This record gives sequence, structure tokens and C-alpha cells, in this order.
Amino acid sequence: MALNTLVVDDSSVMRSIIIKTLRLAGLSLGDVLEAGNGQEGLKLLEDNWVDLALVDIHMPVMDGEEMINRLRKNKEYHDLPVIIVSSESDSARIEMLQKKGATFMHKPFTPETLREAIIEATGVSHEDQG
Amino acid sequence: MKTRVEKALKTAGMKAFEETCYLYPVPELKEVQEMLPMEAAVEVKYRGDFTGRILIEARGGLSQAIAVNMLSSQDPSEEQKMDALGEIANIICGNVIPALGGISQGYRIEAPRCIPLNEVQNNLLGEPLVSMVLNLNQGRADLKFYVDGYYPAPEKNT
Repeated sequence: MALNTLVVDDSSVMRSIIIKTLRLAGLSLGDVLEAGNGQEGLKLLEDNWVDLALVDIHMPVMDGEEMINRLRKNKEYHDLPVIIVSSESDSARIEMLQKKGATFMHKPFTPETLREAIIEATGVSHEDQG
Repeated sequence: MKTRVEKALKTAGMKAFEETCYLYPVPELKEVQEMLPMEAAVEVKYRGDFTGRILIEARGGLSQAIAVNMLSSQDPSEEQKMDALGEIANIICGNVIPALGGISQGYRIEAPRCIPLNEVQNNLLGEPLVSMVLNLNQGRADLKFYVDGYYPAPEKNT
């Protein structure tokens, strides 16, 4: 099964790194969508089917925490697997996000780390058949 | 204290360069590398139990190499080069501060900021607590760690 993935980060460079690492992780990827903040990410979810979201915490307009709060209240996307990709190391904040059902991945990360985080978040290995 | 910061800065710096842009340390700094002019500088300010900033100075084509490797683009713009260097600074800062234990009440990292070269060259940022050179296979990074005021967790003599 190919994973349709949404990458939400205000840094276009960071989005590029995440997408590059996704492609190196050996998983079967479908469409990869990009958004510069939580609000843009939610808008993309209205029009596209997404299996996984990789979300930064600190972003202008709408941060990652608020985006997750709104996702969890959404009928269609309340159980969307979310991986937080951040430099955050505040354990209380990380724990609070994990309680909201997000998997946490600290920067920097390797394709192997990302792969493990995706398997943990989705419960499926999504092996690349190609 | 200085030793702890040096160790944390070196570990975080090497990990960030290796895992994020596939740049690896080269042990020996050749004479020509010692004289490399600074091409860009980026700082990230942190606030927590203590406050300050981490500065990265790029030399010898490093900012180009970082952007090329991060973006998989052979011709990154100046803006992309600065953004890529800023991301590296952000990642290093996000790994150094927790390693020093200065987060009992949480901490905040500000967005990376490009620093005009004359500010660095004229030493307008003050004296860093720690300064080190990471010699990489494509360029050189000078990492500087500044603490505003004092450092509240002095090293214990054991």
C-alpha cells in the first residue's frame, strides 16, 4: 500500500529534507503533499486523502499542536497517524503531544529512524515493492 | 563547564552535519583551510534556565554544500543556502541545550537569523563561552556557543 503523506513545516528546506529522507526510507510512497503551517495542512486534508502527516511544532499562523487538536476533533481525520518532527526536547511537551496520539521524532534523523517512526505511527511497514 | 559545552557542541554538530546533509568530519585541518574566509553566518537564540545563542560560521563552500546535499539541487539560491544553514543551526541548538541540562522549566529556540558578516568580524557579538572548528569533507564550520550573563549550573568537583 502506497502512503499518501502530508509534510507540514514552515521551512521549505526542512520539508525537502523530510521528503528526501522519506524516499530513502524504503517505504512505498504515494502522493506527497506540502504545507507551510497547520492551517494550510488542514486545508489540504479537505481535498486530499492522506494516510500520514509529518508535522513540525513551531510554525506561524497555526502551530503543530493546534493542528493536532483540530485533527482529533475532525470526524474524518481524528485517527490520522501523526509524526511530530522537531528539535523540541521539553519532555513535558513531548509527553503531552504523545497523549494526543502523535509519534515524536527528534531532529536530526536518518532514513532508518524515520522508517521506524512511520511503522510505529501507522502500524504497517509499507514496504517499497518497487 | 566549558568541557561539557565543548563535548555537547561537537557531538550535536557532527550528528547534524552527518545525518542531515551527509557531510563528514575530516581530522586534519590543512593550512589553507585555516585561512578560509567566512562566507555566511547564522545564529539561533535560546531561552531557558539560561539564555544565549549558537552561531555557525560557514567557510570554504560549506553553505553551498549543505544546501546542495539537503535540497538535492545543484544550484541553490542564496536564500536557500541561508535557510539550509539556519536549519543546521536550529538542529544543533535543539540538541545542545538539552544535553547541558538547562531545561528544568522548558526552553525556547528562536528562528534562525542571518548575521551580517561585519558583525561577526568586528566581534560585535561578544566573546563566546566555547568556540570550535568542525573541519568537514566539503568546507569548514566554526561553531560558537554564547551564554548571556552567567551559567547557573557550575561543574561539580568530584
